[in-house]
Amino acid sequence: MPEALALSAPRRATAVLGEASAAWFLVAPAGIALFLLLLGPSAALLALSFSDWELGAPTLAWIGFENYAELATDPVFRAALSNTLVYVRVVMPASIGLGLGVALLIESGTRLRAFFRAVYFLPVVSLLVAMATAWQYLLHPTIGPVNKLLAMVGIAPVNWLGSSDWVMVSLCMIGVWENLGFVVVLFLAGLTAIPADLYAAAETDGARSGLDRFRLVTWPLLGPTTLFVVTITAIRCLRVFDTVAALTRGGPNNASEVLLHMMYREGFSYFRIGYSAAITVVFLVIVLALMLVQTRLLDRQVHYG
Amino acid sequence: MPTPMMENTMNLLSRRAALAAPLALAMPAIARAQAAEVVVHYPMPAFFKDVMEKIAEEFQAANPGITVRHLAPSPSYEDAVQQVLRQGVAGGLPDVSFQGLNRLRMLVERRLPVDLAPFLAAEGDLAAKGWTPNLLGLGHAQGTQAGMAFASSNPVVYYNLNLVRRAGGDVENLPTDWNTLLGLAGRIAALGDGNSSMHYRWAGDDWMFSALLYGHGGRMLTEDEREVAFNGAEGRASMVLIDRMVKEGRMPAFTVDAALQAFYAGKMGIFSGTTAYIGSMLRSIGRDVELRTAKMPVIDAEKGRLPTGGNAGVILTREAARHAAAWKYLTFATGPRGQEIMTRGTGYVPCNTVAASDERYLGGFYRENPLYAPAMQQMPIAQPWYAFPGTNGVRITETIVNNIARVVEGNATPDVALAEMATGVRRLLPR
Repeated sequence: MPEALALSAPRRATAVLGEASAAWFLVAPAGIALFLLLLGPSAALLALSFSDWELGAPTLAWIGFENYAELATDPVFRAALSNTLVYVRVVMPASIGLGLGVALLIESGTRLRAFFRAVYFLPVVSLLVAMATAWQYLLHPTIGPVNKLLAMVGIAPVNWLGSSDWVMVSLCMIGVWENLGFVVVLFLAGLTAIPADLYAAAETDGARSGLDRFRLVTWPLLGPTTLFVVTITAIRCLRVFDTVAALTRGGPNNASEVLLHMMYREGFSYFRIGYSAAITVVFLVIVLALMLVQTRLLDRQVHYG
Repeated sequence: MPTPMMENTMNLLSRRAALAAPLALAMPAIARAQAAEVVVHYPMPAFFKDVMEKIAEEFQAANPGITVRHLAPSPSYEDAVQQVLRQGVAGGLPDVSFQGLNRLRMLVERRLPVDLAPFLAAEGDLAAKGWTPNLLGLGHAQGTQAGMAFASSNPVVYYNLNLVRRAGGDVENLPTDWNTLLGLAGRIAALGDGNSSMHYRWAGDDWMFSALLYGHGGRMLTEDEREVAFNGAEGRASMVLIDRMVKEGRMPAFTVDAALQAFYAGKMGIFSGTTAYIGSMLRSIGRDVELRTAKMPVIDAEKGRLPTGGNAGVILTREAARHAAAWKYLTFATGPRGQEIMTRGTGYVPCNTVAASDERYLGGFYRENPLYAPAMQQMPIAQPWYAFPGTNGVRITETIVNNIARVVEGNATPDVALAEMATGVRRLLPR
C-alpha cells in the first residue's frame, strides 16, 4: 500500500502539470495574438505618449506628462474635443430616434419591407469617402442642388462646408444620414425577435392603442437592442473622421476639427507621434469611460426578456 | 563588340558609368545584378503617373540593362515625405524619390538625401545640359544639393472669358494689377445668377499667401531665421489685399474644392492658384467655358517675387553600388527629354533650359499652347518656396492659413489676424 501511494503521488503531479501545460499550450496562440495585436500596441501607444518622438527622428526623450500638459492648453485640442462632443450629442440621439421611428414604420408596413430595408442600409455599405464627394456636390454653395432647392422657397444660399458657423451642422447632417441605416437594421432585427403573442396578450389586457403597445411591449423588449445600438452609435460618432478628412480637413480655422482628425494630423502631417499618441490615449479613455457609464447605468434598467 | 545602339547610348553615359561599362561586359552576371535596377518613388499619381511611366520606358530603352521599378505612388507630398521618413527608420528606402521642394529641408535635417554635388561635378558643363544655377538652386537645402528639380510651378490666374465678357471686361487686356482685377471680380459678382467672382487659393498651405508677401518684396522670417518677418509693411499689405478680395472682389469663403467645382462649371470668373491645375482644368472644365491663363498681377515691379512649387528627385540609397544607375536615371528625368515628357503631360514648368527653349523639345510647344506660357514667363522672378526651420513647419503653415480664414470670413481685421499670426508662428519657431 505505501508503495502504491508513493508511486501514484508523483504521477498525479505530472498529470496535473501536464494538464496545466497543455492548457497554457492551447491558450498560447490566442494569448500571443491578443498581446501582439491588442495589448502590446496599446502599451506601446501609452509609452509613446510620454515621449517626444517624431516620425523619422533617430532618438526620443522621455518627457513625462508634458504632452498631456500641452493638450490641456492647446486651443486646437479644445476645439477638437468640443466639436467631437457636439457631434456625438447631436448625431447619436438624432440617428437613434429617427432610426427607431423608421424601423417601426417599416416593420408595421406590409409591403416593400425588403426594399426600404435595403434603401436605408445603402449609406452603410457605400464607401463614405466616395459618398463624401457626392455630399460635396449636393452642398456646393452655388451649384449644389440643396441650395437651389432652398432658393425655390426663398431661403438665401448657405455656405455649408466653407463657413465656420455651418460646417458642424453640415457634418452632423451627413453623420445622421450615415448612421441612420445602421440603426434601422439593428432595430429591425430587435423588432422581429419580439414574439407576436406578447402583443396579443397585451391587447387582451387592455393595451388598445399603438402607443400603449409600444410603451408596454415593444420598448421594454427592445431594451437589449437599444443598449447595443446606443453603445455602438456612440463609438461610431466618437470615431468621426472620414467626412472631416474628405470634406473640410478640420477647417475653416479649426471649426470642424475633431479628435481623430487632429490625431491623424499631429501624427502624420506634423510627425509628432508622441503628441498624437497622447491624443489617442485621451480618446481611448473617453471611449472606455463612456462604455462603462453606459453599461453600468443602462444595464440595470434593461429588461432581458 | 558593341552594337551601334550601345555605342549611341555610351555617348550619353557619364564618364564614371562609361568606365564601369567594360567591367560590366567582363562580369556580366555580377555587374548586372548590382546595377540593374532603380527603385523609384513619386507622389501625386493623378498628375505624374503617365509621365513617370513614359520616362521609365524611354530611359530603359536608352539604357539596356537598367530596369526601373516604381513603388506605389504617394497621393500627396505630405504622404510622400511620411513614407520616406518611415522607411528611413524601418528600411526599404527607394533609390530615387520625388519630393516636394519645400520638404527637402526636412529630409536634409533627417540626413536622408545623398549630396548630389559630387555627381554634378563629374558632369562637366552643367549650363550646357540645361541646369542653370537658378534651377539647381531649387534643389538646395541647408547648403547641400539635396535634389534635382523635376517639376516646378508658380501661381497664375485663370479666367473664364465668358464671364469676363459678360461683366464688360476686355479679354485681350486682362488685368495686370490687383485694382483692375478686383474691380472686374466685383462686376462678375454683380452678374448674379449663381455666379461667383473669384477665388484666391489661400487655404491648404501658405503658398499663395507667400505669393502676395513675396509680391510686395517681403519675406517670411528674418535672415537668421530666428524671428518673424511677415508682420511688417509687406505682410500687412498682403492681408489687406486678401481683405479687399473679399470686400471689393466679393470673394466668397469657399473651400478650394468648392471653388474649383464652381470654376469648372463655368460659374466662377477668376481662379488664382498653381499652374499645375492646367491639366485638370483642361480635363474637367465645361466644354463651353473659354479658359485663359495670365501672369499674376504685378505688385512691386522691382522687388516682387513669386514662390516656386513642385518637386525634386532625391537619391536616398546609401549603397554606393546603386548610385551610378540612380544618378543616370535622375539625369534622364531632369534632362531635356525627361523634362519634355513631364511638361507635355502636366501643367508644370520644365526645370531644364535646354528642354524649354530648344526646338527639338519644347520650343514649339509654348507657341502652340499659350495656356502654359504665363508660368514659363514668370520663371525669372520665381524664388524657392520657403520651408520653415525646425519640426513645426506644417503647424506654422496651419497657423497662417487659419488666420487668413478669419479675414476671409470677416471675423477679424487684417491687422488683428496678422498680429495673432505672428504671435502664433513665433511660438512654433525653434528656440
